[in-house]
Amino acid sequence: MPEDLAAIYRTTYRALVRFLYRKVWDAERAEDLAQEAFARAVVHKPDNARGWLFIVAANMARDDARRAARERRHLTLLKAEPQASEPAAADDALHAESERTHVRAALEQLTPRDREVLLLWDSGLSYEEIAAQTGLARGAIGTTLARARRRLVDVYEAGQRGEHVARG
Amino acid sequence: MSHVDDGMLHAYLDGELAPVDARGVDAHVAQCPDCRRRLDEERALIARATELLALATPPDRQVPPFRAGDVKAPTRVWWRVRLPLAWAATVALALGIGSYLGREAAPAPQAEMATDSAAARARSLARREFRPEARGTVGTPAVAAPGSAAVSPAPGGARADNIARPRPEPVESKAEGERPRELAAKIAAYKAASDERDAWQKGDAISLDSARHVLGGDPVVVPGVPVEAFYLGRGVGYSAVVIVQQALDSSTMIEVINARPGSLLLDQVVVSGAAAVRPDSGRPTESRQLVPKSAPRPLRAAVQASPNLFRDVRGPLSADSLAALRRRLQPLGPATGP
Repeated sequence: MPEDLAAIYRTTYRALVRFLYRKVWDAERAEDLAQEAFARAVVHKPDNARGWLFIVAANMARDDARRAARERRHLTLLKAEPQASEPAAADDALHAESERTHVRAALEQLTPRDREVLLLWDSGLSYEEIAAQTGLARGAIGTTLARARRRLVDVYEAGQRGEHVARG
Repeated sequence: MSHVDDGMLHAYLDGELAPVDARGVDAHVAQCPDCRRRLDEERALIARATELLALATPPDRQVPPFRAGDVKAPTRVWWRVRLPLAWAATVALALGIGSYLGREAAPAPQAEMATDSAAARARSLARREFRPEARGTVGTPAVAAPGSAAVSPAPGGARADNIARPRPEPVESKAEGERPRELAAKIAAYKAASDERDAWQKGDAISLDSARHVLGGDPVVVPGVPVEAFYLGRGVGYSAVVIVQQALDSSTMIEVINARPGSLLLDQVVVSGAAAVRPDSGRPTESRQLVPKSAPRPLRAAVQASPNLFRDVRGPLSADSLAALRRRLQPLGPATGP
């Protein structure tokens, strides 16, 4: 069992971090949560560890988001102070950051279910696993993914156009 | 064949269509220009969506090494994960203390399970109840001395012991001669073991919908506490068991047992057969074999049986806290589901 889990860890850890990152939008937090999920898997020894990990991770990310929302209220006060002391980031990094922000905004325009299915697919889960995880029928996964992908791309492109219009 | 819908096209492009359906799509696309065009469009859409998602990726960092071997109890896991530095410091400290104390350190955790009062109780138990006639009852609960049933209210004894094992050699005469403190430790360990044997077996994680389906209604939870996961469970005498895991705070996990009794009223069977496996009729020395080395076991709250559903809360809390949580149990409404 630990051998299995170690193998799953090697193949799934990054995907799990990515999955979590797109929920909590904080790389370190995502890594913490992913490790926590694996640590729990070591204790619980679930049969289908991969699916189990994503369920637990999704639940942890949801609880984490609630906690974060509470903390954010306190942090807004602190953030008011200027960050001039930070060295100016390279253009590339700025650009990547802004693209990430746009993708995030687009993802947040999806319904929770569509977003979940899309993120799970992108994490490497099969239709079968996604169906088991979300309670959707297996036959509905393709339709859900089609809708989610279209919406993601549409909202993102619309955001880009809107920005160019605003700039121009 | 009629036109292929978007869902099918995406499943086809994702390689998730059953072979027979995929062949159907192939055949249709070959003779339908419209669907061929749409197939290309959807392929581009999938590529674009994947590309966008790739933009929202955390910086690629090294995968930390995986250590399964040193994880024992959930609380420790939390500790280690949340405070890696503190953990490292703990290890360093433990190594230091370990090398300082040498071999003395090893038996400490088990010995500490018994307080002095427990030792005193165990001593009196030992005097009263390790009677010679109890010696013949090794590993056979059904023939335990019935007279001993009224003597001790050992909580572990009130439950089923369906995994009583035959032991190779009866050794209780040795137990009588041992130091009381050791004996107390063994009895404490035995009780922990019986708690563990009684524990509900936790199976796969399931969705809330499945949990409802299994129980035929809403599972009960402690309201206001985040639900972490639902698990399918198993329990002797119960036809359906759902275990709800809830996070009281970042390091405290409780489990709410929802169990629908089977047709047999095994509760009663359990109670009548239970006298056989109490420490007074069994052999406390053997309890050692039943207890895994990881010491801390969750405490259980007392059991509240309702006519339809058996509920229980367990977790690393005091009996009072568990009882308080148990009183707050409520069915999980649709609004509060995960």
